[in-house]
Amino acid sequence: MASFSFRLNGAPVTLELDPSTPLLWALRDHLGMTGTKFGCGIAQCGACTVHVDGEAVRSCVYTIDSVAGAEVTTIEGLTRDGPHRLQEEWIKAQVPQCGYCQPGMIMAAAALLKAKPHPTEADLENSITNICRCGTYARIKKAILAAAG
Amino acid sequence: MRVEGTVLSRRDVMQGLAAGAVVLVGGRLVANEAAAQASAAAPLNAWIAVATDGRVTLQCAHSEMGQGIYTTFAAIMADELEADWAKCDIVFSPVAPAYRHPVYNWQFTGNAESIRSYHGLIRKMAAAAREMLIAAAADQLKVPVSELAARGGKVLHHASGRALDFGALAQAAAARTPPAQPNVKPETEWRLVGHGRSLPRRDVPDKVHGTAVFGIDVKVPGMVYAAVMSTPVLGGKAASFDEALVAGMPGVIKVVPLGSAVAVVAEHYWQARLALAKLKIEWQGGESFDDAALEKSYRAAQQSKDGWALAENKGDAVTTLAGAKHVITAEYRAPWVAHAPMEPMNATVAVTEAGVTIWAPTQGMEMTQIVVAKVLGVAPDKINIHRTYLGGGFGRRLLADFVAQAALCAKAAGRPVKLIWSREEDIKQDVFRPGFLNEVRASLAADGMPEAIHFRLVAPTILAPVSPTPVRPGMVDALCCEGLMENPYGIAHRRVDYNMLATPVPTMVLRTTGHGPNNFTVESFVDELAHAAKRDPYEYRRRLLAENPVALKALDRAAELAAWGKAAPGRFQGMAFADCFGSYLVQVAELSIENGAVKLHKITSVCDPGRVLDRVNATSMIEGGVVWGLSAALYSALSFDKGHVRETNFDRFRVVTLPDTPELVTDFLENRQVIGGLGEVGPVAVPAAIANALFAATGVRHRRYPFAADGVLTTYGKIFG
Repeated sequence: MASFSFRLNGAPVTLELDPSTPLLWALRDHLGMTGTKFGCGIAQCGACTVHVDGEAVRSCVYTIDSVAGAEVTTIEGLTRDGPHRLQEEWIKAQVPQCGYCQPGMIMAAAALLKAKPHPTEADLENSITNICRCGTYARIKKAILAAAG
Repeated sequence: MRVEGTVLSRRDVMQGLAAGAVVLVGGRLVANEAAAQASAAAPLNAWIAVATDGRVTLQCAHSEMGQGIYTTFAAIMADELEADWAKCDIVFSPVAPAYRHPVYNWQFTGNAESIRSYHGLIRKMAAAAREMLIAAAADQLKVPVSELAARGGKVLHHASGRALDFGALAQAAAARTPPAQPNVKPETEWRLVGHGRSLPRRDVPDKVHGTAVFGIDVKVPGMVYAAVMSTPVLGGKAASFDEALVAGMPGVIKVVPLGSAVAVVAEHYWQARLALAKLKIEWQGGESFDDAALEKSYRAAQQSKDGWALAENKGDAVTTLAGAKHVITAEYRAPWVAHAPMEPMNATVAVTEAGVTIWAPTQGMEMTQIVVAKVLGVAPDKINIHRTYLGGGFGRRLLADFVAQAALCAKAAGRPVKLIWSREEDIKQDVFRPGFLNEVRASLAADGMPEAIHFRLVAPTILAPVSPTPVRPGMVDALCCEGLMENPYGIAHRRVDYNMLATPVPTMVLRTTGHGPNNFTVESFVDELAHAAKRDPYEYRRRLLAENPVALKALDRAAELAAWGKAAPGRFQGMAFADCFGSYLVQVAELSIENGAVKLHKITSVCDPGRVLDRVNATSMIEGGVVWGLSAALYSALSFDKGHVRETNFDRFRVVTLPDTPELVTDFLENRQVIGGLGEVGPVAVPAAIANALFAATGVRHRRYPFAADGVLTTYGKIFG
């Protein structure tokens, strides 16, 4: 057990945890941030995508000891004032089916738009590698391109 | 020796159940406690309650696992009731007889049943409620019922201009005797559903903001967590483990033996995982089989004279084939696959003296009640089930094995327990969709059209784990034979023989049930017949469906929409047709070959489910289904070694991602007379449509999928491996 401090959605937090604890389980079990989902545990599916210092990471393999001092953003803190434009487009395009992977998809897409405000379809294909078993990819593409304007 | 097996169809199952059933539609018209409690309002029947403020609450008998029924069920109700859509709510119903499937008389969600089986029932419940509200208004206004109409959450008396809100009528309406034969309104008066309409899904905003509660997100006071490890050899058991090794670890509460698995209960999930890894569990028993042994058992069954059951026999296929000049034979394979929904199996259970409370993402509501009652030795009526959103299901959550594990952990720990399977456990402990080995022969008449067709299918049962009556080798598993039996193509002599293979691997239904694997056989083979007859595959299917004008319209619309036969140079098309889950589906795949790899350009789908209640959501179902079908067609397969499955996570159990998704074009027709299903339909014809396009492109006939395992590279696969 050790103590780890970082900022979560803008607020400081400190946790006493085993250093091998994945950020995902720290967020879900200890901090009540259940919008970040568990899908595979090996960074394959991206359901657990959050931002660490503005970059999309797969929190199921990102141990708590590596976020000390960092700024962590989850779907709950993606914006401070109302929904993100991606969330608005997601609703407009009626993207989700079961919906389980969608917070991770939106976090991945938000990081992409930050790095590339006007992505091409090829950019999407290279950077959105999250898994959706319901197969909502066509609407995900549509929503991201719409949000990019 | 040939065994003329008992044909156990779903129709038989449902008739058997219905015979002993006491709750049919009439019974549901009586309000029950659940409907009353759910909204503290006046229940007009078991499904619908109206509060004094006019808010209407519908009990949602089914699970919301992505199919959108949380919205469409409410819309069907609001439309028929003439309620104000802005004042309509929906909640997940309890597990109770009133919410059973109207035909199978069993509460579950699967088989693309939600709309096709509950549409009529919800309309009846809503029509009854509307008639009760109108009758209450007639009493109050002292006018005949015939002068009144319901609209927008009010009962209106046009002659006097008076209007009474549903809320003001609720108590009086609830006190009335429900009508025995409620009259549903004609389709022409639908205002919220059908006619190309769509409503924004009610679950979407929460799912987009991360606030939707799935099973894995449930939090109850005092809750602790369980992690599970199961036997590395299927059929094995935990012989021993060293509890002392984990006793002092942070958070550890209890080690719970579960027979084929061991669980650790701890204050937090990761603590349970860390302890589980240290337990040094010794395993024993099980059967150490591998792919070669499985293959041998399929071949042995195929060549055996025993174990065969006759699933269908129309005309005389055997004699016709024996005397035919032109016989074509082929063999098709479908792979073993896992369900692998995005949300791994999990459940939260609290066991107290008073009873058992379960919070679970389940498709098998009654199954859960029965299974947990059995493992805990309590009466089923002591089990209270709260249902959550499901992060996918695809059939896996029809079973309650994971809930039973959570219940045993909760009992042992004396605390409410949330049990979560790792992805590896989710696949290791899956009950798989088995491989299908399908041998087919057909004879062609002088005009090139088939006279006789004979299927010989070897596959383990998929029905047994979800059937209320025993299913054994020697019987016909009607789900396994779906799509082979009752084929709509006009072939005079048809025979389907089925051999139920017993395997050491547990098997069950998965999205597309038997239709998926069998459609690959039928539609690839029809393409082969068209090729042998030197006919265009579309024209060939037109002739086969000549007596079925409704199916022909779907075929023609797909050909038109996909511009059949007019693909750009270098692009190739393949077509497949399905009659499944009460709907027709025609799909056209269009692809090209680039540097030896396949590039998928477009999948066109035309579906006729009789009625489309919500156009945008129906498109979701078909297009999401296409992507599911692409995973099946291109990549997903399991292999076995030393008694266990090799592909236990998404690194090796590969599924389609965004870059693999081609352009999707979808249209609907509404010519079928009875409303059909959509949830399982979309993937069905994808593997055959692609195989047929591959043949058009390369001249190579791929008779097994996934095509990656048959040497086919996709452009995406080539780049990313």
